[in-house]
Amino acid sequence: MPGSGQADPPSVREGDFLREVIAATAGDSRLGCCIQCGTCGGSCPSAADMDHTPRMLFAMIRAGLRGEVLRSTTPWMCVSCYFCAVRCPQEVHIPDVMYAVKAIATREGVMPDSTAPDFSRTFVSNIHRYGRSYEVGLAAKHYIRHYPLRLPGMAPMGIAMVTKGRMGFAPHRIRGVAGLRAILARAEELERDGATREVPA
Amino acid sequence: MSASNLPAQPDGARERIGVYVCHCGSNIAATVDVEAVRDWSAEHLGDRGVVVARDYKFMCASTGQELIEQDIKELGLTRVVVAACSPHMHEKTFRGACRRAGLNPYLCELVSIREQDSWVHTDRTAATAKAEAIVAGGVYRVAHSEALEPFRVPIDPATLVVGGGIAGISAALEIADAGFPVHLVEREPSIGGHMAQFDKTFPTLDCAACILTPRMVTAGMHQNITLHTWSEVTDVAGYVGNFTVTIKHRARYVDTALCTGCGICQEKCPSKVVDTRYEAGLGYRKGVYTPFPQAVPKYPVIDVENCIYFEKGTCGACKKLCPTGAIDFDQKDEEVTVKVGNIIIATGFELFDARRVEQYGYGRMPNVFTSLEFERMSNAAGPTAGRIVLRDGVTEPKAVGIVHCVGSRDRNYNNYCSAICCMQSLKFAHLVREHTDATVYEFYIDIRAPGKAFDEFYQRVMEEGSVFVRGRVAAISDTVRLPDEEAHQGRLIVSVEDTLAGVQRRIPVDMVILSSGLEPATDAQEVARRFGITCSADGWVIERHPKLDPVATMTEGVFAAGCALGPRDIPASVANGAAAAARVLARIQEGELALEPIRATVDQERCSGCRICNDLCPYSAIVYHGWEQVSEVNPALCQGCGVCIAACPAGAISGSGFSDVQILSQIDGLLTALGGAPPGPAVEEREAVPA
Repeated sequence: MPGSGQADPPSVREGDFLREVIAATAGDSRLGCCIQCGTCGGSCPSAADMDHTPRMLFAMIRAGLRGEVLRSTTPWMCVSCYFCAVRCPQEVHIPDVMYAVKAIATREGVMPDSTAPDFSRTFVSNIHRYGRSYEVGLAAKHYIRHYPLRLPGMAPMGIAMVTKGRMGFAPHRIRGVAGLRAILARAEELERDGATREVPA
Repeated sequence: MSASNLPAQPDGARERIGVYVCHCGSNIAATVDVEAVRDWSAEHLGDRGVVVARDYKFMCASTGQELIEQDIKELGLTRVVVAACSPHMHEKTFRGACRRAGLNPYLCELVSIREQDSWVHTDRTAATAKAEAIVAGGVYRVAHSEALEPFRVPIDPATLVVGGGIAGISAALEIADAGFPVHLVEREPSIGGHMAQFDKTFPTLDCAACILTPRMVTAGMHQNITLHTWSEVTDVAGYVGNFTVTIKHRARYVDTALCTGCGICQEKCPSKVVDTRYEAGLGYRKGVYTPFPQAVPKYPVIDVENCIYFEKGTCGACKKLCPTGAIDFDQKDEEVTVKVGNIIIATGFELFDARRVEQYGYGRMPNVFTSLEFERMSNAAGPTAGRIVLRDGVTEPKAVGIVHCVGSRDRNYNNYCSAICCMQSLKFAHLVREHTDATVYEFYIDIRAPGKAFDEFYQRVMEEGSVFVRGRVAAISDTVRLPDEEAHQGRLIVSVEDTLAGVQRRIPVDMVILSSGLEPATDAQEVARRFGITCSADGWVIERHPKLDPVATMTEGVFAAGCALGPRDIPASVANGAAAAARVLARIQEGELALEPIRATVDQERCSGCRICNDLCPYSAIVYHGWEQVSEVNPALCQGCGVCIAACPAGAISGSGFSDVQILSQIDGLLTALGGAPPGPAVEEREAVPA
């Protein structure tokens, strides 16, 4: 491995952040193989709401713009639809990279100026409580906390979804919540151990 | 240079061996103490017959070679061991030196102390010890080498060219013009290949037909070229210089001796069929047809699957109306056998099936076209008479999107770059602008324009006003989604990230052209097996050397040209054809070919007839004699790879130059030098053991 055993001068340590993200991503992300073609950015249903397209985020990771990447809304807007992953000509595991960036940002408490991370937190707390997603509760809690004035405007869509059976009004709790919580606790434990894993030089 | 001379040859050693240790500048000398290796060889290998050991800065230089020649003459050497680079580099060089001095070249052994030693080690002491062991192995081995003579085969002056596209035509014409016979086999009713379908050629915009058809006519009329169209090679037997090829002539149901090519049959035939081949599905042909007016030969064929006579037994309009009575419904397929000395494979490519990229909607959305469809549409002699129109056949597009890299540079389909698509797409942009007022978008990842006048053409297309959007198209849709897209209902929306602006765009167009990549013919692997050559996993023919021997295959006497080797443009295909022809002509001129004598032979007494070796041979060189129940190696086909020797359970196969005693002696030499005496008696006292 080039430069192994001795520290590189600061000017050539740009690849460190790329290595950090690759190491933090589960499995082989192939992030280093991105050819910047933009298939992900063209495919992404959330691209208009992101401050950078996924492709741009990967270029920024390579350029070592650590702070900018961790403060980007892009990974938080990712809806994990996997369109990008299916179409990527280089088979980069794009959603997995998004998870990794979010994990680093969460660990360090570096957040974008956006309500998106809080939305994720509320979502995860619902999972802890009920064992599955609870849309009405999630939307209501998020809007009450961040956009109380917009809530009445959302009502017609919410009512339509409830009456058409697309959304349950009351939360639905799974049977083995205790079991799921044990699984999640173990996953968090593993995540903590993984986080202290050494970043390959 | 210095030498360690031994006063006298000890008793018992039968051979007089010279050892030459090369410094290779500092390549070897920096890691291996070559002087020590020289002295060690003289001191420890004297009882194995070493009478002289020398070192030299560059053994491969003429002065180095002269050292060997001089010693052979003056010291009466009977064997030579050179410790230098890999035999791939300089085995021929040192064998040549021995031959010049009157020693059989196969009594020279080149052992590698560079690739296998100095280049892969850093510890000088250990590397020097290893070099000594390698030299010892070579000395032990060379004592058992035998003088071999090259295997000579006569070359039949006729050549088989498989595939009548521009590469095959070029190869055939070169050989025929030099005065030697050529059999040109083409699967379709006419020669011409894909080039006959194209409109213009990049970057000069020459009309493809205008430059191709004169070549086709010349090939068709050439006294030295026998055309076998509507035909396929069904069997290949024999070996370099002496192939016997069986060609199946599919029945045309037209007597070519009587047909004048007047075209009345085609005109009167009531059966109209969508032409998926030549017109890429955009136009029609008849049940009896020539694919295009300039077809060579001019004789039509009857497509029995779409002929009313063959389906129902009625009609027969062609037969009734043919002025020369050339229609013959009773014709049968026939097989002919030809003898040839060399074969050129020029079987070309097929277009990547764009349906596989589902998000681009080809086959689902009518106004998404393939590159070949656009070629036909743009062609003045094509189905729309050169008008660029939507699938309805009348509407001119106001905006056209050209999508690069369809099925290429994509791990989901083909990893490789198809090489021609960028230039082809730029040509399309030019042609759309020439024929219409449409806005043209080029959607690309990178523009690859590395040929002569290619980048200038790119400049020209930019100056003509085409819009370049750097981004690989994510999807093509026929449904509007956003409120401001309502006006574009019924058009196509191209979703793409404009990567230079860093924003997602949805660009409405009327027509999309998919620049599909090139793929090997679907039966490429089968064809390769028939001719005893190998294809890469992608299906392209593997060259003998990708740089230094780009039109030869691993099989002697079989060459390849054009897109059978991989995606390439017309000039490269023509150059390949000419290059393959030059290789063939050199052989024909020589009259006979000297082949390496490193060959396997089967001891018929020990062969049990198990046939394990038959299917393992990568060169199909082993024949089985059913009556005697033994296998035999055809020495002209054998390349001396040794697979059969290793596989034979009876130990009945031996390889000249790689006999068991040679290999075991070499191992003995290595082990002895490394201090571990081999167990058991010395190899000379052992019978060659079965593998």
